[in-house]
Amino acid sequence: MADPARDALGAAAAVPEPPPAAASPPEAAAAETAGDGEVREAGGGSELKAEVADGEVRSAEGEAADAEEPGLQAGAARKVKLELKERKEKKQKVDEDEIQKMQILVSSFSEEQLNRYEMYRRSAFPKAAIKRLIQSITGTSVSQNVVIAMSGISKVFVGEVVEEALDVCEKWGELPPLQPKHMREAVRRLKARGQIPNSKYKKIIFH
Amino acid sequence: MADEEEDVPFEEDAEDAGGGLDGGQGRRKRLFSKELRCMMYGFGDDQNPYTESVDILEDLVIEFITEMTHKAMSIGRQGRVQVEDIVFLIRKDPRKFARVKDLLTMNEELKRARKAFDEANYGS
Repeated sequence: MADPARDALGAAAAVPEPPPAAASPPEAAAAETAGDGEVREAGGGSELKAEVADGEVRSAEGEAADAEEPGLQAGAARKVKLELKERKEKKQKVDEDEIQKMQILVSSFSEEQLNRYEMYRRSAFPKAAIKRLIQSITGTSVSQNVVIAMSGISKVFVGEVVEEALDVCEKWGELPPLQPKHMREAVRRLKARGQIPNSKYKKIIFH
Repeated sequence: MADEEEDVPFEEDAEDAGGGLDGGQGRRKRLFSKELRCMMYGFGDDQNPYTESVDILEDLVIEFITEMTHKAMSIGRQGRVQVEDIVFLIRKDPRKFARVKDLLTMNEELKRARKAFDEANYGS
């Protein structure tokens, strides 16, 4: 089963391919608009942007770095820059390979598999209901990004529970559809692994 | 056991359609029944999952969202939920972390694409 974390496209709707981004540094623009640029490492952020902006970002970066650092540091800076470039190229190539492999895989699906895959990609929580739920808990309004993030994480959470329940079902020698006993055993196992947040019990650190 | 559970879902469906008069444990109306059914099918369950399983999942999801929201409210800027807080809470879970990063990146790209498209239209 394809790991949802590896999907390049969002699950909300069929996402059209975005046109190539402008040559003006998209990293700076994204860091301002995204707001969570502080959380992402600079290297990670630029790697993601490289997928969209092809070679334009890299050459712009290269020129800027060259102009700044004269002397001994230029050698080391150039090496670091080259490594970054290589890593970006490798990551781009790996992503392209992955996309190709996914296309080959999906083209060889049976009809039932296609149905299931379509449901997997397209199913999503309604943004309005999630927003209402979060706002009823906080009492204040929340931004759109929060709703997007929360729906996404919840879908991954559902996936984890369902997959674990299917494991339990198979282990007990039974067949789907999943029954409540499978779900509860799955939840018990996930709790033991700490994948289900539970802040109801105070943790006693030093017993 | 399986036979019993196959009959009950049909009755449960009628009850839910009536607006959940006797909800039992679910004190509020079911929020995500339809979407959760599609999701369960997508993740590997049968095409028609049991209603009780869907109910259990819905309760789990609501509890998950509630927990995350409470935790996010207690860190960073108190009393507010911000994306940075969610990303911080999720940092240890590789799948969720990667998923949130992807979603937010995609959203930014779409916003930029839409803006560029609108500007192009306005210019011409």
